[in-house]
Amino acid sequence: MDVSLQILASGLTLGAMYAISTAGLALVFGAMKMLNMSHGAILALGGYLSYFALTGLGLPAPVGITFAVLVCAAVGVVIYHIVARPMLQSDNFETRIFIATIGVGVILESIILEAFGPQPKPQPVSVPGSLMWGGVYLPYQNLMILGVAVLIMAALGFALQKTRIGRAIRATAQNRDAAQLMGVRIGGVYALVLAISGGLAAVSGITISSLSSLLPNMGADPMLKAFIICVVAGLGSVPGSVIAALFIGVFEAVVQYIFGVRFSFALLLILVILVLIWRPHGVFGRVQGVRL
Amino acid sequence: MTARRRDLFLCLILAGFAALLPVVSGVRYTVTQTTFFFIWATVVVQWNLVFGIGGIFSLAQMALFAVGAYTAAMLGYYLGTSMFLAMPAGALLAVIFSVAVGLACLRLRGPYVALLTLCVAQVMYLMIVNDTDCFTNPPAGCMPLMGGVRGFSRFGDLGFRELLGPAFYIGHYYVGLAMLTLAMIASVVVIRSPMGLAFQALRDNPAYAAARGIDRFKYQLWIFGLSSFFTGLAGAFYAVNTGVVGPVVFSFSHLLFLLSMIIVGGVGTIWGPLVGALLLMFADEAMRELGDLRDIGMGLILVGCVVLMPRGVVGLLEDLARRRAAQPARNAPLPTKESA
Repeated sequence: MDVSLQILASGLTLGAMYAISTAGLALVFGAMKMLNMSHGAILALGGYLSYFALTGLGLPAPVGITFAVLVCAAVGVVIYHIVARPMLQSDNFETRIFIATIGVGVILESIILEAFGPQPKPQPVSVPGSLMWGGVYLPYQNLMILGVAVLIMAALGFALQKTRIGRAIRATAQNRDAAQLMGVRIGGVYALVLAISGGLAAVSGITISSLSSLLPNMGADPMLKAFIICVVAGLGSVPGSVIAALFIGVFEAVVQYIFGVRFSFALLLILVILVLIWRPHGVFGRVQGVRL
Repeated sequence: MTARRRDLFLCLILAGFAALLPVVSGVRYTVTQTTFFFIWATVVVQWNLVFGIGGIFSLAQMALFAVGAYTAAMLGYYLGTSMFLAMPAGALLAVIFSVAVGLACLRLRGPYVALLTLCVAQVMYLMIVNDTDCFTNPPAGCMPLMGGVRGFSRFGDLGFRELLGPAFYIGHYYVGLAMLTLAMIASVVVIRSPMGLAFQALRDNPAYAAARGIDRFKYQLWIFGLSSFFTGLAGAFYAVNTGVVGPVVFSFSHLLFLLSMIIVGGVGTIWGPLVGALLLMFADEAMRELGDLRDIGMGLILVGCVVLMPRGVVGLLEDLARRRAAQPARNAPLPTKESA
């Protein structure tokens, strides 16, 4: 009983971390059909910037985290203006932006490697101590990650559902042309969506590195998992991707306990292939009729 | 002369010129680098079949390359198989693997395929690197079944070392040249055949193609199978040529290098991948001095090319040629209402 609760607790922490980065990816894909392959590098950049601000500049943690989030959001906006905007109208935008962002990711990762070196670095943003609750070991760090994730998801959900800008994002996602005809500045929406996604990536990078350590290529694995989660949920569905992230986190914790860490990704992939054979548009994805 | 004959003829002429290189320039570095060019060009020429002609954005090509390389190395290492047998075996296993990947991707479109195939490669990488159980215990130390982080070495070669002595690399050069020539001929034959037309029809207008009786299921499996034989063979030859196979074949910078070749050259054109591979080899050579900054240069080339030149160098030249051909027609006096 204790063991299963413990697995559930660590699974939910994993899921919460995945949810933060997955929500950003899903938001961007939903709004502009763009799979951002540089997300992993932005995530690593966020982690390193917080390390740089706290250890290098000696800033207090909230300022450092804000700094990291803002810079990563700016990177998102830059990617929109330099890479995405020139090809928005082309036929095979989805494939082209996928390839272009692979290049952007490599550039960012190499810059991080140049600036900070290949050695792992500790993430200074951490909360020491832990809590024993009903025989379950809960470090404050994990509780904080869960809390941050819930807060961010609630804020994102509120912003998407209740605010004017959120409505503009959802309208653009539903139908770009109609939204534009109704006076939505879709260019601004795209830039905003990429900025939000960049900021979320920074938070996700800080939380992930606070449990392990900072490495220039630390983003690759979380990004692939975030993509898997997006695909399982149905690309573009933000609430679906959060549910799927929590489920996959718990699934991974269970697999790691039973079979060992080695097989967690492989089994995850088999699960995804099965899901996609069952529902090619994902569990929560809208089945869109293809107009030929 | 039909387009198919012209392209095949051009293949043989180019191969003939390339065959003269070791005779003209005996510099070992040039010859070995050109051998690498043959290997990478083989991979991208075949990748172009899936990605450019079939329009299926699969990133499985590096995984297929690794299947070929690892099969050859493991057969040689564990069973002492001659590389003359192990290389085709690697290629055949790559075909089987590729058809399985094609089956898994059948119901997916666009970037979903890229994600799934990228994950397949990543899983293979993690399974190999995280394996620490000893399968055998040679004097050099513990050896996991798939070689682990260290990979395989000393699994045999094609026997050029005994035959040619220190000039063995020239033997590898001609094997590589033969492989690329065959791969290029196979690519031209496929593209300029009814089957190639079927692939292009499915890419350009799936509904119309289906209405004319082209079976997507059948042709997708065909294209995954066809494009993987030479990719696996290139992997196996890479293993023989370098003498080591390790998890580095899965590295992201390899994938970036090959993807840049196909994009710079021109996706979906017959000669684009070959041109791209040549240009990128030169670019790589030029950036050799930059060390770690090399990846930034590669990334900039890739991004710049996707943004500014989506059809690549060959596509751009084709467009220019077409515009020039259309020019006289545009300068001719337009038929006016009176004359009509």
